[in-house]
This record gives sequence, structure tokens and C-alpha cells, in this order.
Amino acid sequence: MMSGSCYHCGLDLRPKPTFIAVIGDVEKEFCCLGCQCVCQAIHDAGLASFYRKTPEAQRLTRPSTDFESDNVSFYDLAEVQADCVTQLNGLSYIDLLVESIHCAACVWLIEKSLNKIVGIESAEANLTTKRIKVVWQPQQLKLSTIFSQLLKVGYQAIPFDSDIAEQQEVKSHRSLLYRMAFAGFAMMNMLWVSVALYSGADQGEFKNWFYWISFIIATPTLLYSGYPFLKQAIKGLSQSQLTMDLPIAIGATVTYGYSSYILMSTNSQGHIYFDTVVNFLFVILLGRYIEAAARRKALLETHHLMTLQPKLANVFNDGQSRATSIKRVKIGDQVLVMPGDRVPVDGKIIEGESAVDESMLTGESIPIIKAAGDSVIAGSINAEGALTVEVEQVLTQTALAKMMALMTQAQQNKAPIQALADKIVPWFVLITLSLAVITFLLWYQTDFEKALLAATSVLIITCPCALGLATPMSIAVATGVAAKAGIILKKGSALEQLSKVDSVMFDKTGTLTQGKLVMMDIRVSGTMNEERLLQITASIESYSEHPVAKAVVAAAREKKLPLEVVSNINVYPGRGISADIQQRHYLIGTAVYLKEQAIELGQKWLEISQKCEQQAISTIFIVEDNEVSGMMGFRDKLRLDAELTIGSLQKDGLDLTVLSGDRQGVVETIAETLGLLKYQAELLPAQKVKAIDDRQQQGATVAMVGDGINDAAALIQADVGIALASGTGIAVEGADIVLSQNKLAALLTAKQLADKTISVIKQNMAVSLTYNIIMVPLAMMALINPLVAAITMPSSSLLVIANASRIQACLKD
Amino acid sequence: MEVIYGLLPGMLLLGVVGVAVFVWAVRSGQYDDMDGAGSRMLMDDDDELPQQEKSKNKKDD
Repeated sequence: MMSGSCYHCGLDLRPKPTFIAVIGDVEKEFCCLGCQCVCQAIHDAGLASFYRKTPEAQRLTRPSTDFESDNVSFYDLAEVQADCVTQLNGLSYIDLLVESIHCAACVWLIEKSLNKIVGIESAEANLTTKRIKVVWQPQQLKLSTIFSQLLKVGYQAIPFDSDIAEQQEVKSHRSLLYRMAFAGFAMMNMLWVSVALYSGADQGEFKNWFYWISFIIATPTLLYSGYPFLKQAIKGLSQSQLTMDLPIAIGATVTYGYSSYILMSTNSQGHIYFDTVVNFLFVILLGRYIEAAARRKALLETHHLMTLQPKLANVFNDGQSRATSIKRVKIGDQVLVMPGDRVPVDGKIIEGESAVDESMLTGESIPIIKAAGDSVIAGSINAEGALTVEVEQVLTQTALAKMMALMTQAQQNKAPIQALADKIVPWFVLITLSLAVITFLLWYQTDFEKALLAATSVLIITCPCALGLATPMSIAVATGVAAKAGIILKKGSALEQLSKVDSVMFDKTGTLTQGKLVMMDIRVSGTMNEERLLQITASIESYSEHPVAKAVVAAAREKKLPLEVVSNINVYPGRGISADIQQRHYLIGTAVYLKEQAIELGQKWLEISQKCEQQAISTIFIVEDNEVSGMMGFRDKLRLDAELTIGSLQKDGLDLTVLSGDRQGVVETIAETLGLLKYQAELLPAQKVKAIDDRQQQGATVAMVGDGINDAAALIQADVGIALASGTGIAVEGADIVLSQNKLAALLTAKQLADKTISVIKQNMAVSLTYNIIMVPLAMMALINPLVAAITMPSSSLLVIANASRIQACLKD
Repeated sequence: MEVIYGLLPGMLLLGVVGVAVFVWAVRSGQYDDMDGAGSRMLMDDDDELPQQEKSKNKKDD
């Protein structure tokens, strides 16, 4: 089955797949060995139907390629387990955070494959929180087996210990759920009584009996379900603030008090409104619950940055390194960082040399060479050699932790819509209360009972049932629809902003381009031919992890050239590599590296190299026995959907700009190919922020699309930050919207969805406003009878909910 | 019609039972994962067979 995409992760493999393997009698294509091994493991475990269960739009996370070498045995150490494992009745409990759980099929696969292991009591994966709860028998099974089983099926897990803030959050979430559910049960029971009363029971002999039952249902509902509103209203009053909870609390208690008065006084002719109290509380709580659920989801997303901070460090003690929990590492300790591991602390290298990948923090996609004396930061990946690091900062003091704190802060500060709403609310409350008081005073002269009833109706009718549901309901539906299309909305307000955007700024590397090098040019001299040159280079470069090396190996694989036996390999991180093939000595590297090795390039090669540099092509040279035998050039290619996306946005009349840190010539070429875009080149991260700020000063609403950490600040500065999921953790963290399928064209879908959602919200607002404009005067005139209130109240809310669900239809066409 | 003197308290009692069941469900964590549980029942778990056709080829490039 040749589908053009990786069978496991769905990565686009055009023009040709890199790995092909026969799994389950069918030939399947893969992008990397990691995907192939994971697929094999899943198939061998009899879980192949996993692939039928994954939603088509969702891309699976690419497993780490070197997963077999991942050392998980340190999880068996007692001191490591002390932090994250709880023992109870001879069983062990652990919570694991797995960032790559993203669909129901992942949950299925994880639970199936773990529950097969002997010694596992239970394994439950949670899709919302992306966590797994595992219970196992420590005598029968080692903890490391659980980790390696997860790695085998493609999931990297870290132990998760929830903090106090998180536990409190769970508690308040549950309490809201209880209160809402109680109001719901009360409402359902109350309906029977109401039906009886409206159909004539309030005239007959059972009137009092029905009234008392209503009273019995409404009292606990007001006291229990209404408690948060009562509490907040009193708290607000004591701080002399008018909050939204105040009219809700007054409305509910006054209605309740009035109905109780009618019930107790024997000669009164009035109606009771206990059903209104209960319905009202339920609808309001439902709105609050939907809102809280969306907020909780956004909060959970921030936990995923924690995966960057390793939980363990290899600390030197008496000349031996021991795996130690990161919490026990002290400043001044010496830590060993093996190749492929993340650096656990901020510190200084005292021994070793290596290339360190700091892309998580700096956006620099090419690893940086570091040697003794250089600083390393927590969260970066040690790509090549072993390093000994002296600890300077740990945990909350690291650059990584400070960055995370900054992100959280920035996200909290930026909510212009919320700020506006907060400003309007006191006025809304004030108007509602004044209208109620006026109504009461007007009617007071004629009839006390009527005055009380009319004033209460005003409070209830104006109460923001439909208004309160209009926005959260629409946004909840839109969030669900977006998630199905691979667009993650981290904040509801992002949609509103996106629909207003008139100016879009793009990062170049990794956003408009694929962010990975492709071989563009190959030149030979002397007796060498191109194919042979590629074969030699690929054989040697297969021992390096450098982006250029990967591009060479990919090019050779495309031509199906077999790799040769290589000996005597020396890697010079970031510069080049030397090795022997069939008694011939080869040097491969940049012009600078060859100069270091005292090899003359000659005028002809230097000229070609310069010409390439101007076209943004990076070059390497191949030297065979001290003779330059060829050259290769590499360049970053445009994304396949870049042209389509840009064209379509231009058609919509948006103002598009490319902001890049890259050289002038490169950016110019890209901007021209894509249709004469405006561009600014050679920008530092701070200058990108400035460029966006300038546009905003001119009155534009700006969306920024980026992927690297150098875009993180710009993503926050922009009115809407949009990140591509291939991007680095922190950039994704700073964004309001994440395009999780790593397709630029999803931007168009997001924009379309935003427009639709906002128009639905506006319709909903109109519905509830119309409702208020018609009903408030009627209530003030004391014309609202119980039947009218009972029908119009829920129907306005239902109308709003039904309208919101129309958003789903938006993506079907 | 006097039957309603018994029916209505009975109805309330059932309501209370419903609330109690719900509280139990929340306590046992059934509402912790609102996204996963919905699809969980749609996942078949009856494909434990393909042990015999294990393919051996590892890498092919």
C-alpha cells in the first residue's frame, strides 16, 4: 500500500519513502527506523488494529529513533522511586505523564500493552490529563519494564507527582460538578410538580401539598447548589464590588423568599416560583461548568513543558556516577551527561566536548559546539559526546524554569476581552438592580405583593442565562470542532482575535519552509562520479547526527545506494568528519574545517562556494587522500502547502509579512517566490517583537505564525500567536493556537472556523438581547406570569445552545 | 388522588438515590476523563491472533 505517508506517524514521505518493511504480510512505508520498530512491536503484540482506531486527521507523535538505547534501568533504584512511587498493601502506585497521548486509540494501545505484562494490577490512561495510573506488584515486575514497554510502542513517559495547586484544582472541579448535578436532579423532579401546578393543581385540594414539595426541593438546592453565588456575592459586597454573582444571588434568594412568604401566609393569593429558582441555578451552573472545563484543559497543557526537565541526574560521587533524583542534586555537584540525554541542570562544562542542541530554548536548529568552560542549560540535548557538568542552578532557578514562569505570566496578563467584560459587568449589575428597585417602588403604592413579584421577575429575567451561555457554549463547540481538525485552541479568546486579524506575520525557517535541509547541488572533479561521491559521503556521514549528514544519508537512500564499511571514524562536532573506506582516507566538512586540516581548496572551488552562499546554499567539501574530489550544497525547501496558504490569505485581503532571522538574500528569494510578500530579514527575537508592536501601533490586529523559540516572544506579543506543532516546546507554549498536524494550510481552516464562531456568538448575543428587551418591560409592568417565565427562560437558553451547535457544520463542507 | 401523598415523597427518594449514584460515580473517578471514556467503548479488543505471521525483516534500505 503506497500511500505517500509514514504508516505510523503520517509524515509526508514524498517523493520517496525512506524505510519499507513487510509487517503483517503487507508492505508498509515509514519515515524512520523508530516508526518502523514501533509499528513492528505493536503488530507483534497483536495490537495492529490500533491503526484503524486512530482518527485520520490526527498525526501520531514520532517516536525517538534511538529508543532501544534509552536507559530506563535507573527507575529501579530505590532512591529514584522514593519520589514518585507510593506503596500500599504490597502494591506499588505511580502516575506517569505521557505527552504524546492524543486520541482514544493511544489510550487503548497503552492500556492493552501494559495490561498484558505479568505483574501489572491495573493501568489506566486518561486522555484529558494525558496521564497513566499504573498499579503493579513490585516483587513480580520492575518499574523499568513498564517504561521500556511504553517506549516499545512509541510513548515516552515521565513520572508525574502532582503538586498542591493541582490537587486543589481537582477538588474545586469536582465540587462544581456535584453542585451542578444536584441542581440538575432538583430541576428534573421539580418539573413534575410544575406541570401539575400549571395544569390546574394550584386551584384544587392538593395545592398546599405541591407547594410544600416544591419548598422541600428548592431549599437544599438554593443552599447547596447556590452556595458559591451567595458566598461570592457577600464577599464582593464586603469589598464594595459589584460582581455578576450579586444579581444571581439576589434574584435567587428574593424569589425563594417571596415564594416562602406566599407558602407560609395562609390567606395569600400569589403564586410560588420555587421552580424558577431551581431552573435558574441549574442553567447558570451549567454555563460555569462548561467554562471551567475549558479553562482546566488549557491549564493542563502547561504541564507538558515539564517533560523538558529531566527527573534524574548522574551525579559523581567518589569517582563513580550514580543516578540521583533531580531534587537531591545540589549546586556545586558534578553531573555526567551521556550522549542523547537531556542536560538536567544549568551549569558549566568541566570535561568533554560535544554538540549541544539548544533548539528548545534558542530556536537554533543546528547543535552548538561546547567544550570545557562553556555553559549549558537544563532541557537542552547533548547530541554527541559525554560531558561532565558542574551544577550552577537547579530546578526553579534554571533558565528553563524561568522561561516557563514567564510564559505563564504572559498568558495571564494577556486577556483584553476578559478585561473588557470585567469592566462591563458592574454596570450591567447596577442597571439590573436599579431597574428592579424602580419597578418595586412604582408598584409599591398599589400592591406590595405585586411590587415584590414584579421586581423579582426583573432580576430573574435580566439574569444572564442566555447571555451567560452565549459565549462559553459557542467556544466549547468550536474547540471540539477545531480539535477534530487538528487545531488546538489554547484560549477561547483566540478565536475572537483571529476573526479580527488583518495582518499576518510569518516566521521563515520551519514555518514557510520545512526546517530541514535538502541536497540541492552536487559537483565532482577528477575521476570521481556523482553517484560514487554520494555513496562515500553517505556511508561516512551516517555516523553523524548533524542536519547536513541527515540530508546526505536521505539523498543516498533515495537513490538506493548501499552504504559501505567505514573504519577509523573521527567526528569533529559542527565542522566535519574523517574516516577510511577501502584503505582510502576521506575528510568531509566545511571550508573552515578543511583549512584547519591544512588543505587548499583552490580558486575554482572557493568561487563556487561563494556563489552558493549568496543563494543561501550551505556547502561541504569531500577530500579523498588530500585531493578535493567534490562538493555538495544544501538548502531548506518550502513547505508543500505554503503557496496555497499564502495565496488564499492574499485573496482575503490580508496584509502578509515575512519576519526572519535569516540573511537578506535568502528571505528575499522566499518572499518573492511566494508572491511578492513584504519581508524583514536579519531580525533578532526582540526585533521581531518590535516589528509586530509597530504594526499594532498603526492599529492593525496581528497574527504571528511561528515555530521556534526565537518566535516565542513574538507569538505572545501578537494578538494571536499561532504555532506549528513541529515547533519547539516553548514556542508552542507561548501560542494561542497550535496547528497540531504540522500543516500550514490548517491556518485557513482555523481562520474560517474563527469567523463562523464569532458570527454565531453575535447571533447568540442578539438572541439574548432581544429576549431581554422584550421581557424586561413586560416584567416591569408585572405582566409575566409563572407559565410565561417557565417557558421563555429555558427556551432562550436552548435556542442559544442549538445555535452554537451549528458551528459543527462549518467544517463539513 | 390521595395516592400522590405517597408518590411525591417516593419520587424525591428516587431523586436522592440518583444523586447518591452520581456522587459515587464522581468519587470513583468516572468524570475525570471526559474525552477518553466516550470512545473507549467503541474500541474492540478481540484481535489477539497474529502471533504466527510474525515478520522477521528488520531494516531494508
